[in-house]
Amino acid sequence: MNLEDELRSAFKRREPSPDFTERVLARVAAAPGRREPRPWIRWAVPIAAALLLAAGSLEYRHYQGERAKTQVMLAVRIAGSKLNKAQKKVQMLTHRSNS
Amino acid sequence: MRAAALSIAALLLAGALPAQQLKWDSEKLAARASDTVDISLDGALLRFATKFLSDEDKDEAKVKKLIAGLKGIYVKSFEFKKPGEYTAADVESFRAPLHSADWQRIVGTHSNEEGETVEVYVKNDSKGIGGMAIIATEPKQLTLVNIVGAIDLDSLSDLGGHFGIPGVEVDKKK
Repeated sequence: MNLEDELRSAFKRREPSPDFTERVLARVAAAPGRREPRPWIRWAVPIAAALLLAAGSLEYRHYQGERAKTQVMLAVRIAGSKLNKAQKKVQMLTHRSNS
Repeated sequence: MRAAALSIAALLLAGALPAQQLKWDSEKLAARASDTVDISLDGALLRFATKFLSDEDKDEAKVKKLIAGLKGIYVKSFEFKKPGEYTAADVESFRAPLHSADWQRIVGTHSNEEGETVEVYVKNDSKGIGGMAIIATEPKQLTLVNIVGAIDLDSLSDLGGHFGIPGVEVDKKK
């Protein structure tokens, strides 16, 4: 057999066996498919996101409150100290004029 | 009849209007200052801050009581690197809105030695003191305070002395 005959034999059309389609379909059905996520995960993700958002919001509100408190304390300290200076001066002068 | 109705409407409207803070234009001064403190707390922010002031802490409890019912606290304090960074005209511009009939200067003190001046103004309304303003100057510092609402001056002064500056002890030494 020469090379030409060998090639012809190799490229000769062969029909698949009659059960080929069935076997392929059976294998496809048996192969592990894409799993559906578990039902609780569907709920857990948005709940966790909502909880994180709520926690972040609370933390930010607390930060704002503490900041406002610090500002109030500073404002009262500045206002009070200036008023106290004036009051002290007045009382010193009153004390001096009385004595 | 119509005039009376208009008067009543005007009074109701005046009552409904929010208490106004003083309009002090201090941007130019802020540009010249080396350090600036600018605190602006309106009524809502004050009420919010109140929730964070402790009743257990002595100072915080006093402040909480003091600011209850206030409609605003506005403080601007400018520190300069050297004297002469602000002018008498600057100070006068801050006095200008206090020249109205509503405001009354109750205390004005000046110390030649330290170059300090403190002016205290109160705003009188139908219920008594409806606000307070302080203009305090030092060679390298200028402080403006505006408190909107009924304020207890003695408590405020007491807190000022309590926070590090000695309180008024003159009468107690007698």
